[in-house]
Amino acid sequence: MILFEANYSKKIGLPGYSSHQFSVSLKTELADVGQVQTESSRLYALLQQSVDSNIKQVGFLPGEAKTNGNGQNGHPHSVRPAEETWKCSPAQKELILKITDEHKLDKTQVDQLALDRFGKGVKALNKLEASGLIDELLVQTGQSQPRTGRFSKAGGR
Amino acid sequence: MIAIVENGAGPVAEVSPLEKLKRTVSASRLNCWLQCRLKFYFRYVLKLTKPKTPALHFGSVVHLVLQQWNLTRWRKQPFELEKLKSVFTTGWLDQGGRIEWDGEEPEQKQTAWLTLEKYFCDTPIKADELPAAVEVPVEADLSQHGLPQLIGVLDLVRAVGRIVDFKTTGKTPDEALTLHQNGVQLDCYSVLYREATGQREAGRELHHLVKTKNPKLVITTTGPMPEYQRSRLFRLMENYVEGLDREDFVPAPGFGCLGCEFLNECRQWNGGH
Repeated sequence: MILFEANYSKKIGLPGYSSHQFSVSLKTELADVGQVQTESSRLYALLQQSVDSNIKQVGFLPGEAKTNGNGQNGHPHSVRPAEETWKCSPAQKELILKITDEHKLDKTQVDQLALDRFGKGVKALNKLEASGLIDELLVQTGQSQPRTGRFSKAGGR
Repeated sequence: MIAIVENGAGPVAEVSPLEKLKRTVSASRLNCWLQCRLKFYFRYVLKLTKPKTPALHFGSVVHLVLQQWNLTRWRKQPFELEKLKSVFTTGWLDQGGRIEWDGEEPEQKQTAWLTLEKYFCDTPIKADELPAAVEVPVEADLSQHGLPQLIGVLDLVRAVGRIVDFKTTGKTPDEALTLHQNGVQLDCYSVLYREATGQREAGRELHHLVKTKNPKLVITTTGPMPEYQRSRLFRLMENYVEGLDREDFVPAPGFGCLGCEFLNECRQWNGGH
């Protein structure tokens, strides 16, 4: 008898720097090794579906205690798409994406740059931090030098 | 500003300088307005340009080097005095332009570098302190108060949320007076910081690099902007908007005329008729 163990885990980000995760484990027995591949695919699909159907229920979120503690209209929260969770201004988001696309930058590396400089991913940057990241991206892509213009002429801003 | 302040959406109709000034305000503009409205008119409405003064050049290059020093820490690179010296040397040449030195350039250049060395020696900012922001342009929509958009560039925000502005000066500043004189600027920065981060600043610092023969560093600190200062700032902005609407560009003769680059134009001013 062969003991087969499968685990599926998922962690997702939520508004307000929150996150939650859920994992499902399952143990079963297989009659022979030849069943492993088929059983693995079947269990993966089964566990993923199980996790996905449950993880949509976000439950309590910090800062939303006034909403019945149960979400709007008494219904549980549903997961918002990650694209909606940018903390910076829409114009900054647009510019970051534009620079990334135009210069074919690796989004993981841009996110890593944000993590390195600010200890958080691009989407979690506030307006001040996003402004700094944009300047750095412009310098790295050769579109500007560090901000020297303000020092170069008489008169104020 | 490159990144956000002037990143408009598509082409816009031609707008007069006066209309543009009504839409946005900065600490520099506000200070100039309060100092002398005719000077404001020459500088921002007519956009008359004047040669850089030695003092402005001195300050520009010092700021440039401090910016590089802050960026170096932000990028977690090691402190290398020689590299900063190289930035200084290049900056002194690049940003020179037409300046009337009266034979004092070598001495001024030496003093500028000594002032920076003194700063690096005495600064309370540790070599491994990561900045939260360096030379970042920020803006605050104040339309809900009936005011123009506030724009500005923060020299440095320390990791703990302390806003820092660098100054070069020929005289040792008096603490109470310098906080009063720089109040508009500091309060503008507080408004900008709060808008950009959603948080109250931890404090404000003026780092004065005193460019005497034996340079000094004087740091003046103050707490977060109190509510009454914010009200005071908004009242000044109201005055700015109302004055621009009236085209109220009258001179304010006084001590400020001593270093004014528009003294000749002012003398010939006929009342706007």
